Amino acid sequence: MIDNNNKSKISVMLVDDHPMVQGGLTACLAFYDDIEIVGATDDGAEALSKAKELKPDVIIMDVSMPKMNGIDATEIISEQLPETRVLIFSMHDRPEFVRSAIDAGASGYVLKDTSSEEVYFAIKAVAKGNTHFSSSISKMLIENPMQADNERLTTREQVILSHVASGLSSKEVARKLDISFRTVDAHRRNIKTKLKVETLAELVRYAVNHGLIEKNK
Amino acid sequence: MTLPLRLLYIAIFQVILTSIITYYLVSNEYRELSVKTVKELEIFLIKQKEQELKNYTSIALTSVEHMYPIDKNNDDKVKGVVADIVENMLYNGDDGYFFIYDTNGNSVVHPKQPNRVGQSWWDLRDDNGEMIIQVLIKNAQKGGDFYRYNWSKPSEGQPSEKMGYSTMIERWDWMIGTGVYLDDVYKQLNETKNEISRHINRTKKIILVVALSSIFFIFLFGIAVNLSHKKRAEEKINELGQRVIDVQEEENRHISRELHDGIIQILVSIKYSLEATRLTLLKNKQEKPEPLTHAEKNLAFAIQEVRRISHHMHPQVLDELGLSVAIESIAQDFSKRTGVAIQVFKPTLRKLLPDFINTTLFRVVQETLTNIQKHAEAKSVIISLSIQDDWLILTIKDDGKGFDIENNNTSYEGIGLRNLAERVQYHKGEFDIKSSKKGTLITVKIPMASFVNHFNAATIRTKDDDR
Repeated sequence: MIDNNNKSKISVMLVDDHPMVQGGLTACLAFYDDIEIVGATDDGAEALSKAKELKPDVIIMDVSMPKMNGIDATEIISEQLPETRVLIFSMHDRPEFVRSAIDAGASGYVLKDTSSEEVYFAIKAVAKGNTHFSSSISKMLIENPMQADNERLTTREQVILSHVASGLSSKEVARKLDISFRTVDAHRRNIKTKLKVETLAELVRYAVNHGLIEKNK
Repeated sequence: MTLPLRLLYIAIFQVILTSIITYYLVSNEYRELSVKTVKELEIFLIKQKEQELKNYTSIALTSVEHMYPIDKNNDDKVKGVVADIVENMLYNGDDGYFFIYDTNGNSVVHPKQPNRVGQSWWDLRDDNGEMIIQVLIKNAQKGGDFYRYNWSKPSEGQPSEKMGYSTMIERWDWMIGTGVYLDDVYKQLNETKNEISRHINRTKKIILVVALSSIFFIFLFGIAVNLSHKKRAEEKINELGQRVIDVQEEENRHISRELHDGIIQILVSIKYSLEATRLTLLKNKQEKPEPLTHAEKNLAFAIQEVRRISHHMHPQVLDELGLSVAIESIAQDFSKRTGVAIQVFKPTLRKLLPDFINTTLFRVVQETLTNIQKHAEAKSVIISLSIQDDWLILTIKDDGKGFDIENNNTSYEGIGLRNLAERVQYHKGEFDIKSSKKGTLITVKIPMASFVNHFNAATIRTKDDDR
C-alpha cells in the first residue's frame, strides 16, 4: 500500500482556512512517501501567489474560505498555472459545487469525510493528468448528469467584463489582475461569444443593463 | 391614552365650554335688552294713548263749544243737546266713548251704561277700593289728568284696566271724561316679549347645532387621525417583523456557517487524527483496536448530522455559488423527490445580488416548490431568473390545478407566501400571484437599484484590498 518506487515525489500544496484540518491531513499524508506537502495557505486569494512561488504538482483546495472561495481561486490558478492540478477538498457534497469546480478547471473532487487513503489516490490520479471524484460524488454525478454550464460567464470572466465595461483597456486589466495581455484578450473573446455581442459598446451596454456596473461610470 | 386622543378631548371640552359661555352671555344680553325694550315700548305706548285721549277730548270739547248759548235761560235745553252729541261720539268700535258727571257725582252721559244716568255715583269704588268718580272729578278740576282704574269693558263685558282722562266743562260744572282699555297695550307688549323669547330660543338652537356639529367634526377628525396613526403603527410593526426575519436569516446563515466552517472542520481534523493513529498502528504492525473503529464510525455519523443541520439552516450553495445555482440545486432535489419535471432558466451573469435578496428570492422558490408539491398536482414547473429593463425578474410557473387567490384560507397560500410577499415588498420589490385552473404563476421583481454594482463591490474591491 505504501508505495516506495523511485519516481520523484509529487509536490502538494494545501489551501484550507482551518489549521486543524491542514494539520490532520498533513499528518495522514506523511505516511505516504511518494508525496510531499510543500506548503499551505488559508485563503484562495493567497493561493495564487504561493502557487506561483512553489509551483506544486497538485493543490488541495477547500471551497468555503473567507476572502475568496476555492472555486474562484481554482479558476485563476488554472488560468495562470496550467501545469498545476487542482483537487477540490471540501465538505460540500452538492452536485452544483462539483459542477462549478469542474467548470473552474478542477481535476478532482474529494469530500473531507472520505478516508486519507482516498485523498492519496486522488492526488496520484490528478497528478498523472486523470480526474478523480469521491465515490459518493461519482454516484451523484451519474444520478444527476451534468450539462456543462458554458453559457454563463465564470466569476473571472465577469471580473474582466466589469473592468472592461468600466473603461479599462486590455492592457490595464492585465496589469491590474497581474496576468498577460493575451489572457485578457482570450477572456474578452470568450465573454463576447457567451454574451453573443461583438463590439465594446455592446459589452458596456450589457454590463450596465444587467446591473454589473453603474450607469454613469 | 395616545397624544391625539388627548388633544381630541381637550378640543371637545373647549367647544362645550365656549358654547356654554356664549349661550350664557347671549341669553343674558337678550334678556336685558328685552326688559329695557319692553319698558321703553310701554312708556311709548302709554304716552301715545295719553296723547290720543287728550286729542279725542279736545275734539269733543271743540265740537260742543259752539253750542254754548249766550242766553242763560236756554241753558237746560242746550245741556240736553250737548249731552246727546257727546253720547253719540264713539270711537275705537264699542270701547271708545265719553262720559259726563256733574261735580256731585251724578251721571249725566254714559252711552254704554245708560242705567247709570241720573243717579249719583259719588261713592263708587272699584275692586281696589279706589273712589273712581271722586278721583276723576278731582283730576278734572285740576285742569285735566290721567287716572287708571278698573272698569267694565263694553266689547267683553268684563272689568279691565282702563286709563281715563277727565277735564271740566266749566260752564256747567260738568266733568267730561273718556278712556282706553290698556289690555291692548299689554297684548302688544306681550307679543314683543314673545318675539324676544323666540329669538333667544333660536339663538340657543344655533349655538347647540354649532357646538354639536363641531364636536362631531372633531370626532371625525380624531377618528381619521387615529386611523392613520394605527396604519402607521401597523406599518412599523410590519417593518419590525421584517427586520426580525432579516436578523433571523442572518443568524441562521451565521450559525450554518459556523457549523460548516467551524464544528465540521474540527470534526474532520479529529477524523484525520484518528486516521493518523490508525496508520501509525498499521506501520508498527499493531492490531487496530475496536474502539478506534467505533470512534471513526460515530465521528462520520456526527459529521453527516452537523452537515445536514447546517444545510437545513442555510444552503451554503447560495453564498458560495450564487442564487441561480442554489435554485437549480433545490429544483433538482424537488424533481427527484416528486417526479415533477422542472426547468430552470438563469441569466448569463452570476453573483450579482446581495445576500438579503439572494435569501429572500431563494425562500420564495423554496416555499413555492413546497406548496406545489403539497397542493398543486403539477406535472411540470418552469423557474426563470432574468434581468430586463432595470428589473431582476423571478417567475415560477406550474401547470397544476391552481387555487383561489381571493379565498386564500387554504393552506396553499397560507402564511408562507403572504409573508414572502411582504418580505419582497420590504426589500422594495414587487410580488404577484396569478392562478387559474391551468396553473399558477408567481412573479417577483427586484429593482436594479437594489443590486447594481454589487458584484464589483463584493468581488473586486476585496481583491484590490488584498494587494
